[in-house]
Amino acid sequence: MTLPRTLRPLALTALLALSAHAAQAATIGYIYVGPEKDNGYNTSMDNGRRFVEKSLPGTKTLHVENIPETAEVEKVMERMIKSGATIIFATSYGYLDYAISLGKKYPKVAFLHAGGLKTGDNVGTYWANSDDAMYLAGMAAGAVSKTGKLGFIAAFPIPQVVRSINAFTLGAQAMNTKATTSVVWTGGWLQPAKEAEAANSLIDAGNDVIGEQVDSPITIAQTAEKRGIHVVGKDVDVSSFAPQSVLTGASWNWGPTMLKLVKEIQAGTWKPSHVRGDLKDGTVVLDKFGPAVPANAQKAILAKKDEILKDKFVVWSGPLKAQDGKELLPAGKPMGMEMLESMQFFVQGVNGTIK
Amino acid sequence: MAEAGIFDGLVVSSIRAATPLIYVLLGECLTQRVGRINLGVEGQMLVGAAAGYGVAAASGNPWLGLLAGAVVGSVLSLVYAVLTVPARANQFASGLAVWMLGFGLSAYVGAGLVGQHVEGFTPLANGFTPTMVLALLLVPCIGLWLYTTRTGLAWRAVGESPDVARAAGVQPALVIVLGIAAGGLLSGLGGAALSVDYTRTWAEGMSGGRGLVAVGLVIVARWNPWWTLPAALLFGCAEAMSLRMQAAHSAIPAHLLHTLPYLASLAVFAIACVRLRDSGAPAALKNVLER
Repeated sequence: MTLPRTLRPLALTALLALSAHAAQAATIGYIYVGPEKDNGYNTSMDNGRRFVEKSLPGTKTLHVENIPETAEVEKVMERMIKSGATIIFATSYGYLDYAISLGKKYPKVAFLHAGGLKTGDNVGTYWANSDDAMYLAGMAAGAVSKTGKLGFIAAFPIPQVVRSINAFTLGAQAMNTKATTSVVWTGGWLQPAKEAEAANSLIDAGNDVIGEQVDSPITIAQTAEKRGIHVVGKDVDVSSFAPQSVLTGASWNWGPTMLKLVKEIQAGTWKPSHVRGDLKDGTVVLDKFGPAVPANAQKAILAKKDEILKDKFVVWSGPLKAQDGKELLPAGKPMGMEMLESMQFFVQGVNGTIK
Repeated sequence: MAEAGIFDGLVVSSIRAATPLIYVLLGECLTQRVGRINLGVEGQMLVGAAAGYGVAAASGNPWLGLLAGAVVGSVLSLVYAVLTVPARANQFASGLAVWMLGFGLSAYVGAGLVGQHVEGFTPLANGFTPTMVLALLLVPCIGLWLYTTRTGLAWRAVGESPDVARAAGVQPALVIVLGIAAGGLLSGLGGAALSVDYTRTWAEGMSGGRGLVAVGLVIVARWNPWWTLPAALLFGCAEAMSLRMQAAHSAIPAHLLHTLPYLASLAVFAIACVRLRDSGAPAALKNVLER
């Protein structure tokens, strides 16, 4: 839907009024925090929606983009329910509390939230661990970089992002022990002007591969392509915006997870829980390699991927040292859930501040 | 290999970051010179950015994108002109209305544009792009025009005293509308430079306050087009530095660094107000500000 914020509720009401005729078919509502075509996080969720719609003929999906993480999302969900939606995908982190409170009001509707750590009687969550893929993408960065200096442009120092930066750095160090990552925060999920200048600053400082975790990779990927350095993607394959400079990336493939949950709900077998995917089950995908990744590096990366898939290699295990050289984990010790999910430290080789 | 320092490429970075602002600042400078303060520049920038991006994506020609941004920016500024010249509405309220209108329109049009490919400009030497060169050329052109031509004199006269200008055979209302439209044209162009060249993307509200910063920086530039260049560069340099310091592993928290461009502008603004009793403001504008 391409409407300003004030008109969105009106348009949605109209859409829902029309859809009431087809009340027999199952209706699933999707809510996105940003534009569905951002070629990043929201596009990955929308790809999941398209997969569900295609796989279940007769199922109708509604979707609304650019809904902030405020009480507005509650109103949008409520309108979707009133028009017959029986399943709601709340795809942004900040939607969780609104989904839980609406869940109590509408016990017959199933709510599925992306990445939350709370459930309700009819509220479950789905998410996936992309750290393995980020580690493998970091290996590509470490192998291709000539300076050994990598940059990373990120929005906010939340644990999910900090994990990506650390995994990326550890992967790079597996190929080049001296590799370091310089972090630049933009202070917003969608800040194209800052992203452009952040990329330029990193390139001017001698970094020749840039990783990113912001809403939309479009500006960073194109800046990297224009300046002839390399980029690693996140959320969605960025190769169409940086055909020469892309190395690889860690992308989401939400479709199968969403489809499985929808089928369970429709069959009445669903129990709200935390569903978590990863590289192994295919919810996370390592993007295809770009032209700059040499064959021997590709081989090493795919061999490491194989070890991860066979549980022979675990990214989050010791020996692991913090930014200042202090030991975090002794050799062979795996990282606990608590430490992983609340990660607020950088590993050795990352330059930047979290606060 | 020598270690790349924080200042390597800083000049180009500052100009690059300042470029959209140079256009907007020049435009707002002209508008204020004829006696109008237009807060709507922020909205004009946004419609310019959305239209420029859409046209550049559809046509594959970034120059057409810039042209579209300029046209759409001027059209939106005419709303402000109608409100403040024939209808004599409050300038600040009218500017706010145009800003909101521009935000809504650009969000509406822009939502359909997200994710499209834009063929940007091919970079010239040393990382310069055509929009950067054009911005740098416009400063002396507009400066010379305003201070050495008859029409420039007429515009300045209207800004000082519409009555005197009228007595001298100038039509103040026409000049004011032209001044507002020139501001609209340049702010739309600045918005298009931001979306088509600098970021090659569209995002809702992507101007991020640059239009409003321009309204304030006109005071720092003392309503003189020549001074808009250092004023815009000050902001661009501070923005580039805020990111370069992070890239150079500064221990200063990122949140603080992000306020640097605004702090720097504010500091110069404060100094300019204290040190310079005669601000250089057009007299007709003082009436608006001090009434």
